[in-house]
Amino acid sequence: MAYVATKGGEKAIQASEALYHHLKGEVTPELVQQISDTMPYLVDRVMGEGSLYAPQLAALAIAQSGGDVYEAVLLMRAYRSTQPRITYAQPLTADNMLTVRRISAAFKDIPGGQVLGPSLDYSHRILNLDVLDGTSNHEMPELEPADEPAEKSYPLVADWQRQQGLIAEIETDNDALDPADIPDVTRDPVMMPAPRAHRLQSLARADTGGLLALGYASMRGYGFIHPTVNELRLSHADVQITHPITGEPFSVGRVRVSQAEVVTKGKSSYKIGFNATMGWNEVKLIAGAALDMEMNQTEPHPALNEDFVLYHTEPIESSGFCIHFKLPHYVTFSSSMDNMRKVIKAMYGAKAAGEREDEAEEAEPTAETVIKDTM
Amino acid sequence: MSLENLVQKDSGYSFGFLDSFAKRELRRRMLKAIAIPGCQIPYASRELPIARGWGTGGLQATLSIVGPEDVVKVIDQGADDSVNAANLRRFITRMSGAETTTDTNDASIIQSRHRIPEEILVEEQVLVLQVPNPEPLRRVESDMAKARMLHADADYGQMWLVLYEQLVRFGHYIQGASYPVMVHSRYVMAPSPIPRWDTPMLHQSQHLTILAAGREKRLYAVPPYTNVYPLEFTDVPFEVEDQADWVCRATEAVNKFMNEIPQDDGTSAFELSDSGYMEKLLSLMQGDDDVSVGDTYYDDEGNFYHDGYLKTKR
Repeated sequence: MAYVATKGGEKAIQASEALYHHLKGEVTPELVQQISDTMPYLVDRVMGEGSLYAPQLAALAIAQSGGDVYEAVLLMRAYRSTQPRITYAQPLTADNMLTVRRISAAFKDIPGGQVLGPSLDYSHRILNLDVLDGTSNHEMPELEPADEPAEKSYPLVADWQRQQGLIAEIETDNDALDPADIPDVTRDPVMMPAPRAHRLQSLARADTGGLLALGYASMRGYGFIHPTVNELRLSHADVQITHPITGEPFSVGRVRVSQAEVVTKGKSSYKIGFNATMGWNEVKLIAGAALDMEMNQTEPHPALNEDFVLYHTEPIESSGFCIHFKLPHYVTFSSSMDNMRKVIKAMYGAKAAGEREDEAEEAEPTAETVIKDTM
Repeated sequence: MSLENLVQKDSGYSFGFLDSFAKRELRRRMLKAIAIPGCQIPYASRELPIARGWGTGGLQATLSIVGPEDVVKVIDQGADDSVNAANLRRFITRMSGAETTTDTNDASIIQSRHRIPEEILVEEQVLVLQVPNPEPLRRVESDMAKARMLHADADYGQMWLVLYEQLVRFGHYIQGASYPVMVHSRYVMAPSPIPRWDTPMLHQSQHLTILAAGREKRLYAVPPYTNVYPLEFTDVPFEVEDQADWVCRATEAVNKFMNEIPQDDGTSAFELSDSGYMEKLLSLMQGDDDVSVGDTYYDDEGNFYHDGYLKTKR
C-alpha cells in the first residue's frame, strides 16, 4: 500500500512540475537573451542576491522560474554551491572603476561633479499605454553625446571629508591584504558579533525587500540615526586576477557593481554606513548602508541589531522557511493537540474534551466552577 | 597518450553533489558533534537545489556520509510516501547511486523529518534528523550570542522556569513536539520536532543520531549509548502523547504513534504514522513470510523497552 503510494508521490511531483512549466511556457535561448538584454535591473537583483555574477545564468534562472525571484535566486545559489573556487580577485577600490552614475545628497556640488547617469528618478511614472495600442513610436529617445568625454574615475566624497577632519581616517593596506584571509560568509558559519566582512557580505547578498523593510523601519524613527546619502555610485569594474604563471594582473571581465555610503552625526565626527553589491540596486544600497550604520550603535532597536538584521534578510533562508509551512506538520500538530485536549479536560471536564459521556467518571463541573476552583 | 586521455572527464556534479571541501567540513563538524553530545556545532551550510527549510541540513549530513553501498530511507512525518520525502530520496539516490528502501531494518542511513521509526534502530545505523530550530533556548533568549553563553555556563534556569509556568497555568507540561532534553548531563538540546512519543528513543540508543539544521547552520549529535532525559520535575513526570485506546484502522496495531484522521461523522480514525512499519504489518497479514518485523521501542501493551525510563504508566 505504502509502496504504491510512494510511487504515487513521485508521480505527483512530476505532474505538478509539468503543470507549472505549461503555465509559463517554453524557455528558449532567445527568451533568455531577451531577458538579459531588456531587464538588467531584474538580472542584477537576482545576481546580487544569488551571490553569483553571471548575467546569462541569471536570465536563465528568471526564465526557468517563471519570474519568481526567490526561486531564481535559489537556482543561482544552488548552482554556485557546485562551482570550485579557482582564485581570488584583487580588491577593488571605488576610485578605480568606470563610474556612470554618482550622486551626493550631502553637497550641492562635489569634486568631480554630480553625475546623474541612467536613472528613472525624475521620470513620470505613467504607463505608456500606446505600446499596447501599437500606436507608440518605437524609436528610442536619442542620446546626445557630451562635448567632452566623462571622467574615467571620480574622487570619493568621503576623502574630501577626511581631509577636512569630518570623518575619521581609516588605515588600509590593500597590497598587504591576502584575499584568501578575508572571512567568507559562504565558507564560515556566521557567529555573532559578526566580523565586518561577514556583515558586508551578508548585506551584499541580502533580500532587497527584507533590507528595505528593516531599513525603512530604521529611517522612520525606530532607529537612532538619520542617514544622509553621502555618495551613491553605479559602476563597471574590471575584475583583476593575478596570472598563475607570470604573476601579472589581468582583467577577466567587467562586472556591474554599485555602492552607497550614508553619513550621520557621531559625537565628534560623522559616522559612515556602507553597502555594496553586485549589480545595480539603489534601494538595497541605501537601506543596507543605513542598517550598517544602525547596527554600529551600542544599543540598537532589537529589530535593527546585527543578529536580527543579518538572519532575517537572508533571501534563501527566509523565503525557504516561509514556504516550508506548506509541508505536512500533522505529527507536531497531533502532539500539540494532545496537550490541548488535556488542558480542556482539566479546565472544562471530559465532556468538553469530546469524550463519550459513559467514559466521564463524574459529573463535569461547569466552566464557572472550574474557574472558581482554580482561582 | 593524448591530452583527452589525461584529463578527467567532466562529470557535471561531484559525488553526493557537495564538493569535497564541503563534505570534509561537514564530516569534521559531525565528529566534533559526536565528541560533545548535544552541543550545537556551527557549520557553513551550502545551498542545495532544494528550498531552504525543506531538509537541507539533514540532506547535507546525509550527502556527506552516504556511499554507493549505503541503503537510504527517507521519511517525513513517519511516511515514506510523503512528496517531500520522495523528492529528497530521489535527489540522494540521483547524486550518490545509493539504494533506497522503506524498510527501517534494511536502511543504513535514515533521514527523517519529525519522527523516529517504531522499530528499534541498531548499531551501524545512522538516523539523520532534519532540524528547523536547533536552539532550545530561542524562546527564552532570542539573541544567539547570549544563548551560546547560557549553554557554555549550562545556565538552564529559564528553561525550568518555562516548565514551571506551564504547570502553574495549565496543570501540565504543554510543550508538544521538540520537548527539550538534557544530553549526557550537560547540554539541553532540541531533539527536532519529534513527538514526545519519540523522545525516549534517543536515550541509550544503539544507533547514532545526527541532527542538522541547514538554514540555521548548526549540527549536533546524540552518539550511541548516551543518556538523554526530558526536562522534568521529579514530582511531575514527563508524559508521552496519550494514544492508549487508538487502534490502527488498517492493521489493528495499538500502542504505536498514530495519525488521527478526522471523519465525516465527527469521529476520528487512526492509522500508524510509521508507513514502512505499516507496510510490513500489512504484508504479514496477507501471508507474506519474507517480511521480518523488528522489535519495537514500545510493546503492544505500551511499555517502553528501557524499563523505568517513563515514570508514568501510559
